[in-house]
Amino acid sequence: MSTTSKKHQDFVDEPMGNKAVTALPGIGDALGTKLQKQDFDKAYMVLGQYLVLKKNTEQFTEWLKKASGANSRQAAECTESLHEWCNNFL
Amino acid sequence: MSLSSKSAQEISELLDEYGIKHGPVVDSTRALYEKKLREAMARGKRAKPSPDKTYYREEEEEVVYHTYRPPMGTEGAGDSKPYMRSRPEYTEREYEDERTYSRPNLEYRGRDYVHEPHVYDTPSSFRNPSYLKSTPVKPGGDTPKKAESSHLIPPWVQVLFFLAVAGFLYFVFSNMETTHSDPFKKIE
Repeated sequence: MSTTSKKHQDFVDEPMGNKAVTALPGIGDALGTKLQKQDFDKAYMVLGQYLVLKKNTEQFTEWLKKASGANSRQAAECTESLHEWCNNFL
Repeated sequence: MSLSSKSAQEISELLDEYGIKHGPVVDSTRALYEKKLREAMARGKRAKPSPDKTYYREEEEEVVYHTYRPPMGTEGAGDSKPYMRSRPEYTEREYEDERTYSRPNLEYRGRDYVHEPHVYDTPSSFRNPSYLKSTPVKPGGDTPKKAESSHLIPPWVQVLFFLAVAGFLYFVFSNMETTHSDPFKKIE
């Protein structure tokens, strides 16, 4: 049985297209708003940040926590989903 | 040193010097990389302004070769000297920035680790080859350790234990049945 949420499965199972940043697992309304304030208003922008950090999960997690105020669990969820999404589609 | 006034290229080079893996230094990544650099500087990591990228060596943990030294006379002191020497030697090279000089050092360290202890610990290698071989095989991730007898079994205990085991085995052997007598002989 998978321990990941439905949100996670929905995200990693298909191209993200123009999904909002709140579609990212781990990123709810509050965190999403913070990210939007920094002009990261689409999920693909956050993906872009992940990629420009060369998919370094540790550095990306650090950045995400700082940028969105995410805690370790939320940041890990988002990072994991992006990692998996890239495995599937990149 | 004001990191924010440096160019992206300079930041990138600094990251390389501190051995921090990184992507392009752009607007969205700059703050993170500056933070990483400040952390690295605070940790006192030695920056390596050398063109050679030697990632196989962790800069925080100095590669130190621990030789097992049984307390045989004064050689213990003599042996620790070359071990100690390796650290200031390396530091000096860094600060003087003698690239030609440091390169052989990097190459030297890059070579098979087994070679190095022979240079430093030749006298001991004849006496304890087995111990010497075991320690250099470990990669540089080991914390430097001297032969702290408080953490190892004191040698005399080892000798005592050995004699005890030997004595016990002798006792066992001497009391074994000989093949001449028939163990199944009925005692009447």
